[in-house]
Amino acid sequence: MTENSAPSGVGRREFLKILGAGSAATAAIGCSSDRVERLIPYLTQPDETVPGVSTYYASTCRECSVGCGVLMETRDGRTFKLEGNPDHPLNRGALCARGQAAVQGLYNPDRYRGPMIRKDDKLVPATWTEALQLLSQKLGEAQSAGTAGNALFINKHESGSFPVFLDRWLADFGMPAHLSYDSLADHAVLAANRQSYGVSWPSLSFSAAKLIVSIGADFLENWGASVPQQLDFADARAKLEDAPRFVYIGPRRSLTGCNADQWIACKPGSELAIAKALAGGSVESAAEASGVPAATLESLQKELAGAGRSLVLAGGSGAGALDLALAVNALNRQLGNVGTTVLPDQPITSFEGIATDADLRAALERMRAGQVSLLMLRGVNPLFTMPRAARVPEAIRAVPFKVSFSSYPDETSELCDLVLPDHHPIESWGDAQPLAGVISLQQPGMDPVYDTRQTADVLIDLAKGNQRTAARYTAANYMRWLIENFPGGTAAFTAGLQKGITSGSLPRAAAPAHVSNAPQAPAIDDTKGDFYLVVYPSPTLGDGSGANKPWLQELPDPVTKICWQTWIEINQQTARKLGIDSGDILHVETDMGELEAPAYVYMGIQENTVAIAFGQGHTAYGRYAEGVGYNPGNLLPVSFDAASGSLAWTATRAKVTKGTTFAPLVTTEGSARQHGRGIARSIPVDELPHLEMEHEEHDMPGKPDQSYLPGLRSRMAADAMGEVGDSPSRFQKGMYDPEHWSGMAKRRWAMTIDLARCTGCSACVTACYAENNIPTVGAPYQTTHTAFLHGVPGSNILKGREMNWIRLERYWEGGEDGGEFEPRFVPMLCQHCGNAPCEPVCPVYATYHSPDGLNVQVYNRCVGTRYCSNNCPYKVRYFNWFGYGEPARPQYAWPERMNWQLNPDVTVRGKGVMEKCTFCVQRIRESEHRAKAEGREVKPDEFTTACAQACPSKAITFGDAADDEWSVARMAQDRRAYHVFHEQLNTYPAVVYLQKVTHPAPKSAAGA
Amino acid sequence: MATVVSPSPDSSPNIPSANIQLPAIQSYTQVNDEIIGTLRPTGKWFAGLGFAILCMLIGATAWTYQIYMGLGVAGYTPPVMWGVYIVTFVFWVGIGHAGTLISAILYLFRAGFRTTIYRCAEAMTVFAVMTAGLFPILHLGRPWKFFYLIPYPNWRLIWPQFKSPLVWDVFAILTYLTVSATFLYIGLVPDLAAMRDREKHPVRKQIYSVLSLGWRNSDREWRHFARAYLFLAAFSTPLVLSVHSVVSFDFAMSLVPGWHATLFAPYFVAGAIFSGIGMVFTIIIPVRRWFNLKKYVTINHLDAAAKLCLFTSLVVGTAYLVEFFIGWYSGSEFEHSYWWDRVFGQWWWAAWIMLLCNCVLPLTLFSQKLRRNTTWLFMLSIFINLGMWFERFVIFEPSLSHEFEPWQWTAYAPTYIDWAILLGSFGFFSMWFLLFIKNLPIIAISEVKEIVPPPVRAPHKVEGINVSGMHLEFEPETPGERD
Amino acid sequence: MTVRRKWAVIPGLFALAAVAVLLSAYQGAATRPDTIITDKGAWGYSAASSPQGRSPEQPIHFPHPTHVQTLGMNCLYCHYSANKSTDPGLPAVSTCMGCHLAIGPKRPAMGDRPAFESAELTKLQQYWNEKKPIPWVRIHHVPDYVNFPHMTHVNAGVTCQTCHGQVQQMTQVYQYASLNMGWCVNCHVGNVNPAWKARYDCSVCHY
Repeated sequence: MTENSAPSGVGRREFLKILGAGSAATAAIGCSSDRVERLIPYLTQPDETVPGVSTYYASTCRECSVGCGVLMETRDGRTFKLEGNPDHPLNRGALCARGQAAVQGLYNPDRYRGPMIRKDDKLVPATWTEALQLLSQKLGEAQSAGTAGNALFINKHESGSFPVFLDRWLADFGMPAHLSYDSLADHAVLAANRQSYGVSWPSLSFSAAKLIVSIGADFLENWGASVPQQLDFADARAKLEDAPRFVYIGPRRSLTGCNADQWIACKPGSELAIAKALAGGSVESAAEASGVPAATLESLQKELAGAGRSLVLAGGSGAGALDLALAVNALNRQLGNVGTTVLPDQPITSFEGIATDADLRAALERMRAGQVSLLMLRGVNPLFTMPRAARVPEAIRAVPFKVSFSSYPDETSELCDLVLPDHHPIESWGDAQPLAGVISLQQPGMDPVYDTRQTADVLIDLAKGNQRTAARYTAANYMRWLIENFPGGTAAFTAGLQKGITSGSLPRAAAPAHVSNAPQAPAIDDTKGDFYLVVYPSPTLGDGSGANKPWLQELPDPVTKICWQTWIEINQQTARKLGIDSGDILHVETDMGELEAPAYVYMGIQENTVAIAFGQGHTAYGRYAEGVGYNPGNLLPVSFDAASGSLAWTATRAKVTKGTTFAPLVTTEGSARQHGRGIARSIPVDELPHLEMEHEEHDMPGKPDQSYLPGLRSRMAADAMGEVGDSPSRFQKGMYDPEHWSGMAKRRWAMTIDLARCTGCSACVTACYAENNIPTVGAPYQTTHTAFLHGVPGSNILKGREMNWIRLERYWEGGEDGGEFEPRFVPMLCQHCGNAPCEPVCPVYATYHSPDGLNVQVYNRCVGTRYCSNNCPYKVRYFNWFGYGEPARPQYAWPERMNWQLNPDVTVRGKGVMEKCTFCVQRIRESEHRAKAEGREVKPDEFTTACAQACPSKAITFGDAADDEWSVARMAQDRRAYHVFHEQLNTYPAVVYLQKVTHPAPKSAAGA
Repeated sequence: MATVVSPSPDSSPNIPSANIQLPAIQSYTQVNDEIIGTLRPTGKWFAGLGFAILCMLIGATAWTYQIYMGLGVAGYTPPVMWGVYIVTFVFWVGIGHAGTLISAILYLFRAGFRTTIYRCAEAMTVFAVMTAGLFPILHLGRPWKFFYLIPYPNWRLIWPQFKSPLVWDVFAILTYLTVSATFLYIGLVPDLAAMRDREKHPVRKQIYSVLSLGWRNSDREWRHFARAYLFLAAFSTPLVLSVHSVVSFDFAMSLVPGWHATLFAPYFVAGAIFSGIGMVFTIIIPVRRWFNLKKYVTINHLDAAAKLCLFTSLVVGTAYLVEFFIGWYSGSEFEHSYWWDRVFGQWWWAAWIMLLCNCVLPLTLFSQKLRRNTTWLFMLSIFINLGMWFERFVIFEPSLSHEFEPWQWTAYAPTYIDWAILLGSFGFFSMWFLLFIKNLPIIAISEVKEIVPPPVRAPHKVEGINVSGMHLEFEPETPGERD
Repeated sequence: MTVRRKWAVIPGLFALAAVAVLLSAYQGAATRPDTIITDKGAWGYSAASSPQGRSPEQPIHFPHPTHVQTLGMNCLYCHYSANKSTDPGLPAVSTCMGCHLAIGPKRPAMGDRPAFESAELTKLQQYWNEKKPIPWVRIHHVPDYVNFPHMTHVNAGVTCQTCHGQVQQMTQVYQYASLNMGWCVNCHVGNVNPAWKARYDCSVCHY
């Protein structure tokens, strides 16, 4: 792919002049070629772009406050794919699902098209001049009335220059510093880290540890900087024998918990006691408080003491969260981990200056008291993210004039009087300081999709329009301002844009003065109810900001595999006692409210506890979010861990009763058990030394020493090619002859997947959706006009019609009787079998084996007999049941502007054809074409598939298995290598799995 | 002096199927009158035809909707990629097998009881195969591209995949349709001639005379006719076995547990004949009542056919047992799993409907009383049709929904679109059949005449003995007639 | 006529029907071009479901001969990415204006040609002044499920004329080749020019 070319900033205006040519990909298969088609040229040729060739702009991901580096693949003026920036120290080329889905925020069909002004109590479109006039008038009034001091600006937390700029601007208008809010931040841990280390977030070295103990810290999900943590964790686990053992303690076995070797279920609220016990405190009291067998704690305590380098992490947000975090920090210091596994000297600075939940609550109180005259919100949605009990709407209504800079119509912006939609980060300039001494730059990949304006530019214009401040705002726009204030100036800035990062430190906004008058949450055991209620942010939707992106809605929750729905997790034994089955409607009631949702019977949750994921249940957030699921925030009291000012998510107990009705779970899971079929295999670490590589000799006449290689042709296939038998020239082998001039048969594209690394985070799935134009099928509007379950979100998925070319299967091992169980994740995709069952049964050659070892699916040849799918043992073929690619159909998956995201290299499939993983054949061919143009062979590891490229665990390796220069060829020889179903079915898969390695508790701790 | 044999006193004679007599038929004119007499359209018939066409239109509408929206409107639940359509396809192909069996194989075996029912069965065959032929196209994702399956020189320079059983299917079905249609037509020629001679209406006369290929009832024509008929019978006999074997390969050639079995070809053929005979009963019993052809299709014919039915039922039952046995005996996890799921798991109800209808109920045919009770035969035939439809359902759906990959295990429930199209197929079939029975003789006039004593001039009255020395005294009703 | 002859008609009809079916199938549903061009293009793979010969009106009658033959401009001057991208590139209006700012609609007398006002250049100027791109009508089009990388073909020495015909002589461009699959394959297997033979696996173009 082309190198990151240097955009000069100018000339990008011309990018979007092109309309017709780029959208060709949106047409579906079989459309007639004789309809009149227009070719629309550029008006003025933009520099530095070649039509049909991608340009990659380095930028910064703004989906969460961490700030990973991304490359924005842009072609013909459209950014259609985000990829991790390999040069970025934080995410090293990886990108999580939410980062991948940013483009769907950019092209979201429900975005504000332009500014909106409230007229007779509803928001109506307006021009920017009107809107800005109105705002500057209000500002003027505030200044003249001297009420500017009562203004309040709440901004989505981000590191970098913007907070500084914003505070300066506010100061110039006589307004107080802004509130930098992030509802996902773990305020207790931040506060504790500041106390213990003086930094908000020391970077963590998992690979340096021998034992990892996480007390409710979901470091693979929303706790801290998940992508860098996952990268490091995967590297640690990949060390096999030397890998750290991982123990997870918590009431619910989250995705992070599912990657632990041992899960210790404890009562919510008892974490502190356990931490104390591990630090050498009394085990008995802890056991008594937490319901954990004393023996388990004791052995863990011993193990921890003897482990040498270890790493203890704390999460959770209940009463006393700060004490817990402090205790754990102390424990780390006591175990000598500070400096070895906990590195305060290399801090992650993304979280500096975050305002706490308590600060936000204080602000809301002031609003309610009418002390706020002017409210400005950017990127935050407190109405949704704060518990309903916080009575946010009331507070906001109490403000005379509310301005929202939100890009999307959401619950909060609906209440505002003026909406000045902000650019999407992909359209904006900016910077971030993710690490000390590292600046990550943010630049637009394309012209704005809608009539929006970057908030910073709006602020500059306002300041210019105001005679008092105009003098201090000389920069033409925020980009100019950035360059002027950039350490190193223009040169450093443009140089930095090349790679997206540069070294240096940005000025930091003044740390907020945290208020500490928040109501302290009572100990959870003092609350009413028979069940503990655990509310946790969804790993896929975050704090709900992802709910308007169909990729994230369609991405099954990594643990429960449920999508497009809200579910209630309940313990297996408890459910059995109460006669509750998965899908039964449960009624959860607290003092604050009640909620009804189907039950998900889960082994990985403490008895007498129910858990609900946060993020669904929007009332106003576009067609993909509205009417999907319920908001558990309605159940929560507004109580805090006062010391740290963090909202207590695990604050109360609830009354749980079984409803009368039943709602099927929208899940992609068939059977959660492997039935001994060896799909996801794992091996205890102590058996690893005795492990022999499964080595399959099959002598082929003519090819005597053909030992097993992934993707190599089977005997029968070889026979069909005429390689078996006395006269190989029996058949005309054509391109299948390795000696053929095309040299196509020399290559064997293959893939290895290291299950020791895979954490099941499912980033690969979203990456695949993004790369291959895979339609999402679960949106409420897509389920109309179907012959079943009319209008139920995800009803197509209830029918098993999800299209995930690569899916993450999650199998349970053991635990049927409530004992210990082992979760296993295995990504399942087309195995590109050398002896594929699907190929001979297709009557029209729509699927066949290409000379370079791909199992090809030719969409335009497919007539849709679906025999291939019947005959596929892996069930990785997906059928277009509806016209997902046809705009005229009600199931169209890319409503206008969403179709701008489509990858022009990949055909959009029409209805009635089969599709499946292609090993990203478009990338293979592209690199082959490039190599040809440059008169060379394709270089080893020159390119990789979308899933492998995105994987934050680096578990997937792709390449040419027939050429030892490619790393995949080496990986395939690993002793842990195995092939799914190959022994039984002789399929010769091109995908090699490497067994997961488990680290059981040391023998001393047996009985745990 | 010829011996006078008195009829046996036994009230329920077990007449050997080889020489079933039609005692109530006296003369050729009677045959002509009575059989051609059935061809006058009646109000009831128009009503029936109307209903059939209505059903067909319902199916057609459903199909149109499905083409517009996509296959998703049907009940498919991946990985169950083949549903009601394929089940119904195999069902109809199966129905289509009794006809050729009865007309061709039994002809070669000189089984006398076929004479009066074969025409009906053969028409049924042709129309059933026509109906079946719709479904492979109908279940395609892109039906408008079905011609990709047909090998012909094209500008894409590519051919179908001849390794695929689905391509064999195309050939098998088309061949079978052609041959059975020809066979039906050839058999019709003398009857058409007979109708031509009686026809007054000029236009109809023209049509009949064209269709009867200028049959003049000459000895030469009869000789050629007999040869041609014998040849076609011999020609289509292997087809009866081969066609459904090929259909069974659609499944046996795959590796789906429960499909991947060497047993399938004979299993399917037996099932096909069984279902076909069931359908013959379903059709012939009402017809012989409404058109009052009881003296042509006597209870003895039905009795004999019922024996054949019982026999095939036993074959099918054995096939089930073997299948289940292999499921257990294979020792393969996958086979065990699918088998258990099929018989005791989520699909138990379908499996037990199948076993009840196809193996248990037909056992009643061991009793002659029931064999000769047309009401029971009719009811049983309905059960057999149902059971055979479910047999295919039980073979396809449980296997697909319970394959190798546990993560993709699922259920399957058809939608109203599936049912509408199933209904439509019955409408389509009935329409053709109803048109047939009112326009062409449903009983082979010429062959019946072969049994009827020829009108010989008798110099002196011979009491009760005809020229062939065969006894001619009989009670007006054949013994054992109970309906 | 006698009954004997009558029935002899039937097999005849059947035979006719069969022949008709085969022919139509072989021809495919040929969409008739707007204007028939006698030149059927290369190697005869004529017209099966192809708008070959189609020559629609363009918003501006761009005279290729004048630019290519008279002025000797290279194809790559306007179609600037044909040798480095899958997309051949369409000249921006600014590219036209690069020359036509100087060469305006008013054309002076030249040799025996009298002075005249060019209507086409006036249109061009209009588009430029109104800052509107020119809505050219697409002629050569392969379906979206076909990936045709121009640069690979151009760099392999396949001339533009091979597929597009003698454009430099076309006053109005028409679809020269049928662009159907057989036509592609025929060249890929080396029937046209052995030097041009290329991989003919499906997945080379269809993905």
